[in-house]
Amino acid sequence: MSRRRKSWRYVRYALLSVALLAAGFTLYLDFRVRSEFEGRRFALPARIYARPLELHAGLRVSQASILEELRQAGYRTARREGETGWFVREHDGLEIALRPFAFWDGPRPARRIHVAFENGTVTSVRDARGRDLPLVRLEPLPIGGFYPANNEDRVLVRLAEVPKHLVQALLATEDRNFHSHHGVDPRGIARALVSFLRGRGLQGGSTLTQQLVKNFFLTPERTVRRKVTELFMAVLLELHYDKNEILETYLNEIYLGQDRDRAIHGIGLASLHYFGKQVEYLTLAESALLVGMVKGPAWYDPYRHPRRALERRNLVLRQTRSLGYATMEQYSTARAASIGVKPKAPVGTSPHPAFLQLVHRQLRRDYDEADLRSEGLRVFTTLDPRVQRAAERVVERKLAQYDKGKRFGPPGLEAAIVVTDTQTGEVQALIGGRDARYSGFNRALDAARPVGSLLKPVVYLTALAEPSRYTLVTPIDDAPFVWKSRGAPDWQPQNYDKTFHGAVQLRTALAQSYNAATARLGTEIGVERVLSTMKRLGIERELKPYAATLLGAVELSPIEVAQMYQTIASAGFRVPLRAIREVTTQDGRPLRRYPLEVKQALSAGPTYLLTAAMQGVVREGTARSLVKWLPPESAVAGKTGTTDEQRDAWFAGFTGDRLAVVWLGYDDNRAAKLSGAAAALPLWGELMASLHPEPLALPRPEGIENVLIDPQSGLRADWACSDALELPFAQGSAPVERAPCASALGVTVEEVKQEAKSWLERLFGR
Amino acid sequence: MQQPAPVSEPAPEPALAPAPAPAPIQSAAVASLMDGARADVAAGRLANAAASLERALRIEPRNARLWQELARVRLKQGEYAQAESVAARSNSWAGSDNRLRAENWRLIAQAREARGDAAGARAALEAAERQQ
Repeated sequence: MSRRRKSWRYVRYALLSVALLAAGFTLYLDFRVRSEFEGRRFALPARIYARPLELHAGLRVSQASILEELRQAGYRTARREGETGWFVREHDGLEIALRPFAFWDGPRPARRIHVAFENGTVTSVRDARGRDLPLVRLEPLPIGGFYPANNEDRVLVRLAEVPKHLVQALLATEDRNFHSHHGVDPRGIARALVSFLRGRGLQGGSTLTQQLVKNFFLTPERTVRRKVTELFMAVLLELHYDKNEILETYLNEIYLGQDRDRAIHGIGLASLHYFGKQVEYLTLAESALLVGMVKGPAWYDPYRHPRRALERRNLVLRQTRSLGYATMEQYSTARAASIGVKPKAPVGTSPHPAFLQLVHRQLRRDYDEADLRSEGLRVFTTLDPRVQRAAERVVERKLAQYDKGKRFGPPGLEAAIVVTDTQTGEVQALIGGRDARYSGFNRALDAARPVGSLLKPVVYLTALAEPSRYTLVTPIDDAPFVWKSRGAPDWQPQNYDKTFHGAVQLRTALAQSYNAATARLGTEIGVERVLSTMKRLGIERELKPYAATLLGAVELSPIEVAQMYQTIASAGFRVPLRAIREVTTQDGRPLRRYPLEVKQALSAGPTYLLTAAMQGVVREGTARSLVKWLPPESAVAGKTGTTDEQRDAWFAGFTGDRLAVVWLGYDDNRAAKLSGAAAALPLWGELMASLHPEPLALPRPEGIENVLIDPQSGLRADWACSDALELPFAQGSAPVERAPCASALGVTVEEVKQEAKSWLERLFGR
Repeated sequence: MQQPAPVSEPAPEPALAPAPAPAPIQSAAVASLMDGARADVAAGRLANAAASLERALRIEPRNARLWQELARVRLKQGEYAQAESVAARSNSWAGSDNRLRAENWRLIAQAREARGDAAGARAALEAAERQQ
């Protein structure tokens, strides 16, 4: 064998190996391209919405708060014929061009409405032809999402929905030969090379296909090896898929900016984010702005660098025009347009992270974490943005004031608030800490703190369920009290004011929050029974039957307290607190509804009696300072709570329409100069006053009668008693004995009224 | 207190504000939701009917008729425990409307019957009788 032939064979082997390697590499890449592109589904975040505002005649809502809601939803303050998503003021109200929206129970098309207001009330809702509309839902505000990895957010669009001028501007700017090349564009590369040789740096030259491959499959480092892989994969992609598929995927993939921690991907979300409109309504100028951002979303950020973004947009427009994609007239109109981005309401992953944590927790009972972060579920929640904002403002204002006044220990006081609807148990607002944007430790859900006197209503409710033994005026001894139990130190509760008050009426013991009287009452009826009432009120935690529990040596989170008080507020019916109403798929198919559920947990009578006693707390007891915020007619029922060494300050209470629980304290359990009445109550009062509450007016249940009582003696009063109080009693349980102030004749008010009436009738012959 | 009061009568401080009228005036909004709910029931879309009634209850939570309609839908959905509780909730807002109460007790009777609680159903029917 000659040497030449031998070496020739080596060359052939080498060539063969290279060819085999290349083929193997190609096959591998081909496999990756096909499997990943084929199986590729964009992970879509679950999208979370607030409650939709329901507009109807008679709704008590100010024009200002509707304006705020519309602005939050990205509505513009100018008429834009042929478009949706704007409003204008009219002499008596607003004209609104509602965007279409897919609600849980079906789509609502775009429509034009007129809303008239008078004195903080909606007087009419009409359509464009002036016909009355009974009820119109505004679209609900998006309040965040549960995002896939890297907080990527996108709204998928079909190529058919994307305006032609957007695609043309994109091709003119990024890839002129897109429709003729095979994934790689030699002319583009040549152009880039020329530009490089002229000293303008390495730029461009990548086709859309290459850009897509880069974003899809590859890491961002710039190496020759990666560049070669990119070229191969781009060609392979073009072999398997047609231009439209590639273009559509590109439009959905492309990164177009950052909203705090949320990454804006795809043209669908970008048009919503920057212009507050669906992609099909984008004008040429708006399209050009977005196309211009492809090159560098941060560099050309229209909010941070409007001038730069505008110059870039105009460059895109020039290129679009130069390729004949726009007429001279279209070009000049677009060039003359202002930058046009909507006023920015930065959202990030959510403006209300604490509420979202509650939503997430409730969703996790029914859905996998992975599904929540990829399936594009739409979640309709109970959050009332108006209530939430009011709660956020109150916390911010009051805590700053407390810090400054140094009234309550060192700065760093924390807060939690839960606001619910008294009838439906819907959670309208949730504050998890003083920084409403912070998404960490959620005190409303996870801070179990001693509740102190907030537990007293449970003791009194248990007592009032036995009307033969206890009524609102039954005397209770508020004298020193010692509880002895084997294996435990003696328990000797002290009163807050360090004095004992002797025999007091039951309602007074609650109103003034007397510890000795409550401990005596609670041990009389039995700690076990009090705990069983707590269970019925909705506390699921296992509680130890210690006597100290009666005075609130029990740790509960604010949301548990809210659940407990909710049952009292809804007349003994337990209504599980809910943060979610409905869940649909991304295309609006209903998946699951979380219905209103009620369960009669306590009889109506005792709950009604307790509510009257809790109204006494506000009228004349420890919460009487609430009158600074709400007039007596509001008839609020509530209870203050303060724990040992004043570590925790609570106020829980309800009006006719809302229940709120406020907690204040320090995370490290530091003793602070906090009391429920002085620290927590002002937040409650200010919050509720800003929401114009309905007065608390409950229908008297069967078996309950109102009787006039002399507040001093607790005995039966009549018209002769100057400060008589009307109190409810279980039928037949009211005191029979007459108060000293009562008239000697012993006639009741009703009898006197009856007599006066017949006397008048006789007199006037009526 | 519509009657002329005797001059010497002190105005007693009410413990609770006067109870609202048992059936508040139904707004057009609530009426339209109720109509929608009835149409949904007729078409067998019970979940939609319940959702509409819940929307209506958010507007008029004290409307005993709405609670009753919801109880009826829950009964049709086979949610007997809920049907009973919701009918009882309707009763708590019914005020002096005895016919409404009687109807609620009949719904409760049906729910109990369906759950196999014959004695409870009889008791509820008796309660319905007592209302009239």
